[in-house]
Amino acid sequence: MKRTRSTFAILAFVGFVLTPAASALAQAQLKAPDDVKTALRLLVQVSNDFKRQITNKNFTRVPHEFMEYTEAADALRSSTKDEPVAFKNRVDMRLKAAVGAYQKVSDMSAKETDVDKLMAEHAKAVTAMNALFDLFPANMRPDPNLPPPGRGGRGRASN
Amino acid sequence: MRLSRRTLLQCLAAPLAAWGCGRKRPPEARQVDLFIASDGDFLAFKPDNLTCPSGARVRLTFHHGGKFLSARHNWVLVHPGQMEAVDKDVDDNEGIVAKDDKRVIASTPMCDKGVTVMTQFTAPAPGDYPFFCSTPGHGECMNGVLHVIRS
Repeated sequence: MKRTRSTFAILAFVGFVLTPAASALAQAQLKAPDDVKTALRLLVQVSNDFKRQITNKNFTRVPHEFMEYTEAADALRSSTKDEPVAFKNRVDMRLKAAVGAYQKVSDMSAKETDVDKLMAEHAKAVTAMNALFDLFPANMRPDPNLPPPGRGGRGRASN
Repeated sequence: MRLSRRTLLQCLAAPLAAWGCGRKRPPEARQVDLFIASDGDFLAFKPDNLTCPSGARVRLTFHHGGKFLSARHNWVLVHPGQMEAVDKDVDDNEGIVAKDDKRVIASTPMCDKGVTVMTQFTAPAPGDYPFFCSTPGHGECMNGVLHVIRS
């Protein structure tokens, strides 16, 4: 009994160590790192657009943002299509969860006009997106709290 | 003394020619070509600062450099202090700018990814003029400044 328990503990430890290691290896050898980086940044950009439309109470624009989110998701699928099957499957699974979470925000915006409730749902979607980003190396992950590069976030030019 | 018709014409033409040569021709407006694009699919202009001399005839070419997202973009130049108001006003019209909007100096048509459009205008008085994309929700991030300098 004691031996079985220690064997199980060793196996669990090996699994615990090897899983992230295998994942890191797959990530380090991404076939199209630039395309992946662009796709991840686009997901963040559209997520921020969701937030902006909700806070500006432009609820009718939210479904349009969802359409763009699915396009950014397609860009990520396309950029990871040549990756090892195991890694690709993990990406697909988490991407599906993230897209589902943003769809929920979009569907909700058709009836709900309470900004706080919509923002709470959006926060859940960001969490799902962060779980997706965790699959990629840290230097490729865009910060979901930061706006996209360019003038974004610096606000309006001399208006 | 009888003057021939030819001599008479020469007498009249000489002072007219002298007067005409002395007049300055109005300066022709300088033609300036400016190029700007969206930063791929990102909500930013590249470059986000442009410069031209006042009074120049500006031909601005805008390219939608996107590949993935179906978002449409345009380039709208407005008088200082008017960007936010124009941006807000066109929200209900899918970002389409009215041609008779006095706050707007120039604008390109909305375009889809990969498309290039153009607009022409006379550069206004020296100063900094904001430009932005009027697609609803884009102007907040996608904007820049045209620096008009003395010619």
